[in-house]
Amino acid sequence: MLDLLLDPSFAASVPRFVTPILLAALGGALCERAGVFNIALEGFLLTGAFAAVLGAYFSGSPYLGALAAMAAGMALGLVFAEFNLRRGGDSIVVSIAINLLAAGLTTFLLRAIFDVTGAFSDPAIAGFGTVRLPFIEAVPGLGPILSGQSVLFYISVACVPLLHLFLARHRLGLRIRAAGENAEALRAGGVNPRGVQLLALVACGALCGLGGAQLSIANVNLFVENMSAGRGWIAVVAVLLTGGRPWPLFFIALLFGAVDSLSFRVQGLGLAQQFTDMMPYLATLIVLVTLSWWRAKRAKGDAS
Amino acid sequence: MRVALNDVSVRFGQVLAVDRVSLAIEPGEIHALVGENGAGKSTLMNMLFGLVIPTGGTITIDGVPRRWASPQDAIGAGLGMVHQHFMLQESMSVLENIVLCAEPVGRFGFVDFAEARARVGAIARTHGIGVDLDRPLGRLSVGERQAVEILKVLYREADLLILDEPTAVLTPQEKSRLFDALRSFRAAGKAIVLITHKLDEVMEIADRVSVMRAGRLVASSPLADTTREEIGRGIVGGDLPAPRTRKAQEPGDVILSVDALTVARRGRDVGPISFKLRAGEIVGIAGVSGNGQAELVRALTGLEPLRSGSVRLCGERIDSLDVERRRRLGMSYIPEDRQRMGLALGASVSENANAGRDDRAAYAAGPFLKHRALARFARSLIDNYRIRVAGPRAAAATMSGGNKQKLVVGRELTRGTPLVIAENPTWGVDIGAIDFIHGELMRMRDAGHAILLISTELDEVIALSDRILVMYAGEISGEVAGGEASRDRVGALMTARASDAFGEVA
Repeated sequence: MLDLLLDPSFAASVPRFVTPILLAALGGALCERAGVFNIALEGFLLTGAFAAVLGAYFSGSPYLGALAAMAAGMALGLVFAEFNLRRGGDSIVVSIAINLLAAGLTTFLLRAIFDVTGAFSDPAIAGFGTVRLPFIEAVPGLGPILSGQSVLFYISVACVPLLHLFLARHRLGLRIRAAGENAEALRAGGVNPRGVQLLALVACGALCGLGGAQLSIANVNLFVENMSAGRGWIAVVAVLLTGGRPWPLFFIALLFGAVDSLSFRVQGLGLAQQFTDMMPYLATLIVLVTLSWWRAKRAKGDAS
Repeated sequence: MRVALNDVSVRFGQVLAVDRVSLAIEPGEIHALVGENGAGKSTLMNMLFGLVIPTGGTITIDGVPRRWASPQDAIGAGLGMVHQHFMLQESMSVLENIVLCAEPVGRFGFVDFAEARARVGAIARTHGIGVDLDRPLGRLSVGERQAVEILKVLYREADLLILDEPTAVLTPQEKSRLFDALRSFRAAGKAIVLITHKLDEVMEIADRVSVMRAGRLVASSPLADTTREEIGRGIVGGDLPAPRTRKAQEPGDVILSVDALTVARRGRDVGPISFKLRAGEIVGIAGVSGNGQAELVRALTGLEPLRSGSVRLCGERIDSLDVERRRRLGMSYIPEDRQRMGLALGASVSENANAGRDDRAAYAAGPFLKHRALARFARSLIDNYRIRVAGPRAAAATMSGGNKQKLVVGRELTRGTPLVIAENPTWGVDIGAIDFIHGELMRMRDAGHAILLISTELDEVIALSDRILVMYAGEISGEVAGGEASRDRVGALMTARASDAFGEVA
C-alpha cells in the first residue's frame, strides 16, 4: 500500500482525477454563493463529457470540443434557470430532473448519433495532449506531477485564485455573494437577484462542461455511458463542506481526486472492484464526519 | 427636489391597501407619516420607492410625472429608503455593504475600493456619522447597522430619504444621535419621510405630519397647526385608550426562581442571571435586542440547555426537564415569533388553538382528536379574544398579524398557569390589539399569576411592570421599581457603555 502511494506514477495521475472534480466544484461554488442550490453538477458534468466528444469528433479539434462542452453546460444552466428561477420550481426537483435528463439524453444521443451502445471510441476524436513545462519538470518530486498534464488541469488550478479574487473584489462577485446571503437587500438596492443567479448558473455550466471535457477528451478519448460516475456528487459535497470558498474547495478537491485515483490503483492489488468503487464515497463520508465533529468541538470551545 | 403623490392607489386582490392618497414632500423638511400597523404607510412608501407598482394615480418629481418598474428607477431619480428590516449582508464589510449595487469599478469590472472608501469617508464626515468601514457587518450593533443603512442611501446621493420605523430598535441615546443626523440632512436641503407610530417622535422632530388610517390619508398639516391629541385621534379613528391603572396588591409566593443561570452563546456566555418572580406581579425585562434576552427565554422555556445554575418553578427544579414537562408544571409561553414559533401557519385556527391541549380527555379519545370539542374551544377563543377570522377551520395564515397574536395570547393565557412568559407580546400589532393584549396580561396579574414580560419596547415595559430588570451584555445591569421608572433611567442601564454609531455633528 505504501509503495503504491509513493509510486511516482500514482502521484502523476492525481491531477487528472482532480481536474473534473475541481472544475465542477468551482462551478457549484458560484451557485452556492449566489444562493442557488444546484445539485445537478453530475448531470452538467456528464453532458459536458458527451458534448466534448461530439465537438472533438466532428471538428477534429479538442479546443472546439471543450467549447462545445462549455456550451452544453451553459445550456443546461439556462434550463436550470428557466425552471428554478423563472418558473419557481424547487431546486432539488429541478436538479434531479436534470441529472436524469443528462443520463438519458447522452445514452440516447450516443445511439442516435454514433450508432453505438455503452461506449464510443474512435481515432477521430481529437483529444488534448499533455503540456510539458520545461523548467518545472526539472524540479525533483513535484516536477513530474505538475508537468505533463492536460491544459484543462492548469486552467482548473488557475481558476481557484481567479474565483477567489472575483468573489472578493469584482462587482459581479460582490453581487453574487449578496444574492446568496440576502437577496431581498439586493433587490431593494435596485439589482435583480435572479439575473445575478442566472449568470452564476451559466458560468457553473461552463465550468462543469470543461470538467466533462477532461473526462472524455483528455487522457482518454472516448465517451462511456454514465462516465461522470458520481464525480459531480463528490463536487457537491466539496461545495457544501466548504461553503463555496475557493481555497478550501481546492484542497478538498485535491483530497477527493487523490482518493479517486487511488481507487483505480488498488484494483491492481486484487481488491474487489465493488470495494474500490466505494473508496471515493467512503473518503467523502469520513471527511464529512470528521469536519462536522471538528466544527462542533470548535463551536463549544468558542462558547466557553 | 419636490416629490408629489397624486391620487395613488394600490390594490392587493380584494383589498384596497392604499386608497387615492395625495401627498407632497418638500425639500428641507422632515415629514412624519403616522398610522397603525396595516394603515398603508409602508405600502405607500414602497410604491414611491418602486417596490410596489401603483394601480392608479401618478408620482411626480419637480412636477414631472414619473413611473418606475423597479427600485433601480427610483434610486436613479434620487430616492433612498432605510427599510424597517435592514437590507444588509452579514458577512460583508461595512464598506462592501455601502457600495453594493452602486460599486465604483475600475478595470475588468473589479470594484475600486480606494475610490469607494474616499467617497464614503467624505459623506460620513459631513454628517458626523462614525463607523469603521472595514468591520464585518455581523459584529455591529443595531444602531451601527442603521448608520450603515443611512450611509448607503447618502452614498447613492439620495435627495429624498424614507426611513421606515427607524427608532424601533434603538436605545434612547442612539435615537437622539439619529435625530441629530436627520437634522443635519434637513439643513442640507434633503427631504425626509419618517414612518413611525410613536407620537413622541413626531412631536420632537417633524415639520409636517400626515396620518393614515385604513389605506386613506386622513390628515396632513404642518406640525404647528395640530396637536398630539388630534394626531392620536386621527390614527385610531377615535380617542386614544386611557392610561392603564393597576390594582395595588402585595406579591404572593415565589413562582419562578432563577439562580445563577448561564447559557452558552457564541462569543460570550449569557449570565449569571438571578431573580425571583412572585405571584401577582409583572416583572419586565428591558434591554436592546441581542443582550441575552432571547437566550434567557430559551433557557427558561426549555428550548436550550443551561450551562450552569438552576431554575425552579413553584419550588420544583425544572432546568433539566423538557418543554412539555415544564408546560405541564405550570408554564405558558407567548413567543416573540408568532409566524414560526407561536403558530403553524398552514394548520387551521382550531388546530392552533388546541396545540398543547390536545392530550386532555376533553379533547381526545385515545389517539384520536375530538374535532367538535376542539372547534368549540377555538370558537370560544375567537369570541372572547375578539379574533377576526373566517372561523375555526380557516388556516392560521389567513389572519392579520394582530389577530394571529391574539390567538397565541388567548391559547396561552387560557391555560391558566401560575407562570406566563411573554416575549415581545405586542411586536408588530396595531394599537387596538396592543391595548387588548396589555389588558389581558394585567388581568392575569391581578388574578394572581406571575408574568415575566420580556420586551424591547420600553414604553410597554414601563407601562405594565411592577419591577423592571434591565439586561445588558448578557447580564442584569440593574433593577428599577415600576413606579419610579423613567425612560432615561432605564435607557441608561440599557447601554452601560453607549455605542458610538452616531457621533457628534461636526
